[in-house]
Amino acid sequence: MAAGVGYRNSGIVRKIATYFAFFCLLFWVGFPVYFMLITSFMRAHELGAKPPHWIPPEPTVENYREVLIGKAGEAGGYGSTTEFTRMMPALLNSTFVSVAVVLSNLVIGGMAAYAFSRFRFRLSRAAYFAILMTRVLPALSLIVPLFVILRKLKLVNTLWALILTYTIFILPLTIWILREYFDTLARDIEEMALIDGATRWQAFRMVVAPLAIPGIIAVGVMSFMEAWSEFFFALTLTNSLTYPPLLMSFRNLHQVNWNALAAATVIGVIPPVVIAFVFQRYLVRSLSEGAVKG
Amino acid sequence: MASEQLGKAAAQQRKHWDRKWIPYVLLAPALVTIFVIILSPLATTIYYSFSNIDLIRDRTTFVGIDNYVELFGSRLFWKAVEVNLKFAAIVVTVPTLTGLFFALLLVENFKGRSIGRTLLILPWALPWIVVGLLWNWVVNAQFGALNGLLYTLGLIDKYIPFMADEDWALVFTAMASAWRQTSFSAILLLAALQTIPEDLYDAAKVDGAGMRARFRFITFAWLRPTLTIVLLYNVVLGFLQFDAVWIMTQGGPGDATMLISVLLYRYTFINFDLGMGAAVSNVLGLITMGVGLIFVRLIYRSHTTYA
Repeated sequence: MAAGVGYRNSGIVRKIATYFAFFCLLFWVGFPVYFMLITSFMRAHELGAKPPHWIPPEPTVENYREVLIGKAGEAGGYGSTTEFTRMMPALLNSTFVSVAVVLSNLVIGGMAAYAFSRFRFRLSRAAYFAILMTRVLPALSLIVPLFVILRKLKLVNTLWALILTYTIFILPLTIWILREYFDTLARDIEEMALIDGATRWQAFRMVVAPLAIPGIIAVGVMSFMEAWSEFFFALTLTNSLTYPPLLMSFRNLHQVNWNALAAATVIGVIPPVVIAFVFQRYLVRSLSEGAVKG
Repeated sequence: MASEQLGKAAAQQRKHWDRKWIPYVLLAPALVTIFVIILSPLATTIYYSFSNIDLIRDRTTFVGIDNYVELFGSRLFWKAVEVNLKFAAIVVTVPTLTGLFFALLLVENFKGRSIGRTLLILPWALPWIVVGLLWNWVVNAQFGALNGLLYTLGLIDKYIPFMADEDWALVFTAMASAWRQTSFSAILLLAALQTIPEDLYDAAKVDGAGMRARFRFITFAWLRPTLTIVLLYNVVLGFLQFDAVWIMTQGGPGDATMLISVLLYRYTFINFDLGMGAAVSNVLGLITMGVGLIFVRLIYRSHTTYA
């Protein structure tokens, strides 16, 4: 490798500096995450200790049980117990929404990206520019009319409201990244397939799509993560049907059970974190190619 | 002969398939949904901002620029602008600099690099709402990790209620945003660093360029386009952040962390003053669209040169 290090001198100083910087990275990322992790394995009375426990003295999974099954456990007096029974449905709802968003995004976005990549047509540049532009529109500012429209469609407080809005707001990114992939695939191969008598759909399915798989994975993963994480629309368009706004309502309980909240947080971030780690190669490539080259 | 005939048939088929309507059909679902969900609400927001909306009597009256006059004359708005500028200053500088620092680290060859690269992804994989919660844990006055650390190290003997203090509250809500954004910035910068050809450095060494010169004229020069993009992303975040701040402070204490986005939420969902909410929306929209326009132009330009 060694790419990009050529401006440095080598030696012991550099080694020390490297490991010091590495320690900074570990601390920067690890400190907040670690503290929440250990909180989720501690009991309520262990939380306020001074100096704090940096390792849970008696690790317990009671908090996780309370969040997932709704058992009151040790912290029976807390008002949070009933609220936590909404956790499992919320996780299922979030999963449903995210998967639906991934699929609709790939189909709708894939079609549009293919059109931009393979055809020159009237207003194609203007349309592409307009679509990219919607990506930087503050979604926050559209909420009131959006609410009105969705209410007319009788979609408020349904998962479909979220699926619809998430799909649209992720579409520009999808179109942008997939177009990049389609553009890099040689048109000749596709045309050969056409000459051999394949229909456009066959050529797409058998030639273009397989080669674009890295892009398709990246787009799928990114739309999953955005759909899983989105908070503002979920807060305003639904009554905490999905995971992020439910977490907020745990937080706002009169008496917060911090340990159970930590457990709820950990459970809810497992899907995006696992997916990000598994697909990091695809993600990093699309993110950077998308951002730098366009 | 046979192949010639085949070619003719294929040409006919291609002609059949390259009909003009195909791209429009392919684009229709995307354009229709974008129109319904984005463009029509956008038009409505602009209209609302010139109206007074009486939700109780369900009456909308056109009031011209009254909402904007009221907004620009209000102390609250200028407070939000001031808060947001400070907030954005942190969210732009910290992630860009620490992101660059981590990217330069992770391009080095050392044991632990792959752990570092994986760990770098973690903050970016977390939802904003979770990032806000995490930092709530860090700064909490009763059991916060930061207080715990300072106490363990013997630097304080009484826990500090950070979030009750206006300045600290602003700094830490911004730091929470910076924390996640650092990962994103570093990922982009690292990817760019990895594409620098090593020959450039060798050639520069032969030419007698020193370490600093090599950094400045090769590394930095190579990173410049990426740095521009990273900066733009961070500026946009600095003005559009809502989730993490909302869960940490809901704009408080007082109005200390009342970003423009928080003001928008307050007008719309707490005061139910939709006209004013829409006016704030449009101001916020103009700010980010300005930045976004530069951003899209950069992408667009690169596209036309590549095509």
